[in-house]
Amino acid sequence: MTINYVQLANEITLDKRSKDLRSLILNALEGGGRGHLSSALSLVEIIRVLYDDVLLHDAGDPWFPQRDRFILSKGHGCLGLYAVLADHGYFPLDELKTFCQFDSRIGGHPERFTLPGIEFSTGALGHGFPVGVGMAMASRLKNEKWRTFILMGDGELNEGSTWEAAMHASQHKLGFLTIIVDYNRAQASGPSESIVSLDSLIDKFRSFGFETIEVNGHNTESLLFELQKSTQAVGTPRAIIAYTIKGKGIVSAEKSPEWHHKAKISVDEIQLLRMEIET
Amino acid sequence: MRQRALETVHKLAKKDPRILFVGSDLGAGTLQSMKDELPNQFFMEGISEQHVIGFSAGLAQEGFIPFFNTIGTFLTRRAYEQIYIDIALHNLPVRLLAGGGGMVYAPLGPTHTAIEDFSLMLSIPGLQVFSPADAHEMETLIEASINDLRPYYIRFGKGGEKIVTSSFEIFDYAPRLFLTEGSKTILCTTGVMLQQCLDAQSLLAEQGESATIIHFPYLNDLEISNLLELFGKSKNIVCVEEHVPRGGLYTQLVHELVRHRLPTRNLSQISLLHSFSHNYGSQVDHLEFHGLTGWKIAMRVISILKEK
Repeated sequence: MTINYVQLANEITLDKRSKDLRSLILNALEGGGRGHLSSALSLVEIIRVLYDDVLLHDAGDPWFPQRDRFILSKGHGCLGLYAVLADHGYFPLDELKTFCQFDSRIGGHPERFTLPGIEFSTGALGHGFPVGVGMAMASRLKNEKWRTFILMGDGELNEGSTWEAAMHASQHKLGFLTIIVDYNRAQASGPSESIVSLDSLIDKFRSFGFETIEVNGHNTESLLFELQKSTQAVGTPRAIIAYTIKGKGIVSAEKSPEWHHKAKISVDEIQLLRMEIET
Repeated sequence: MRQRALETVHKLAKKDPRILFVGSDLGAGTLQSMKDELPNQFFMEGISEQHVIGFSAGLAQEGFIPFFNTIGTFLTRRAYEQIYIDIALHNLPVRLLAGGGGMVYAPLGPTHTAIEDFSLMLSIPGLQVFSPADAHEMETLIEASINDLRPYYIRFGKGGEKIVTSSFEIFDYAPRLFLTEGSKTILCTTGVMLQQCLDAQSLLAEQGESATIIHFPYLNDLEISNLLELFGKSKNIVCVEEHVPRGGLYTQLVHELVRHRLPTRNLSQISLLHSFSHNYGSQVDHLEFHGLTGWKIAMRVISILKEK
């Protein structure tokens, strides 16, 4: 039986923690008056599960050598990452309000040198995957056990460097490498299928030599089950296609493409968004 | 030059496990000795410059020093953003070894000639740009680079260049002075064009003229503070480079002269044209066409002096 992951992602009811993280995202959005909202809302549960239960990490010692590496390759989803990092104590929660301000540590895309815990600066798409392949190779060369996780957007898969990296990752049998696709099927200009269709995405990654998994990207139990599976340093890299809903958890952001990126956001708009989290 | 560079990488890699060689489908047998001896430090990746630069950046981020070699145009044009973001923004010790600088690949057409690489690379903050003149200087540069964890771009010549820098035992980033006392002319140059300038110096001497040559193997900051008197007295400064007119050595030199409040009225340039060449032939054919061979440089110097 074919599982309708989109329907499952649509139907899932968010728990309190997921709603609280969305409130933190709105705190940052209010402070900056702008941001990629719906792109962040689709990946909240993925990053939450990674930092809550999967990654070996330490907010008190963000660069300890044995940590697992996580790259948010779709850097424009950073509001979701900032919310989770702040929630884990990487920086004060109040600092979220400084988003995009002149002397803030949290900008419109994440930067390694401004904020502890950001593994690699991203923003331009198609960079995180190749860099992650290099990191995964480094882990093997050093005979270490840390793993590399890369979260990509589905629109980002339009970049050719994605598929260059995919070929090399499987060629090198980088078993400690996991790609997660935030498969919300929408880009800035509209539905992905109207721009560059990603039909048979699972087959695409499989044909590139990846172990492929489909999952409801808002179901934290399913995500945890797939993300915590043990892997080997020399093995098949994994691609987890996480079906998500762009704008998930806030009705306006789900319905209106303008929330992909919006500037000059008013206080009234933020208030409305906050109310919609609770409904 | 390329051969010496790769051999030097191999030599250093034997002693330092941080050092890796990364190639992009460079042909069978490339650095085979290193591949055999140090297989875990040798990577021959596919024709995927964007990926391979990101891959190298990821390795460098974790403490390795990757030397990535491919054709200069494929580095600087194809993968500009990867150099900018993955390497330079993160200030990672990746060494970009750019084969076929200038018109080396002239017979292969404009897709392969790296004639604006200095301009592209110098525009990237923090990227250190080098153009050594011969295999000796290349070797000393690569040896010195191990103690500097900034990102490097190094332009290669065709190979087989005469060794003209052997008097400089170490690479210290400073300009190389080939002084002729009392000469009216200074030839400023970089890379393999030093060879042509030395030819011009000899030809000028035969004509009763003389020239001092300043070779700048390091292009980011032209350290001329010890040469101010020389520049100040010169009646004729000619910048000679196998590069388009703007964005390379000439532009750097103008900046430095102005910064030191030295006049630029005596400064002129011999360079490649900023255009797509649709001629083939050899590198030398193109140097001849652009006035960049020794005797053409000498003729130009005499012509400028006559005008003064």
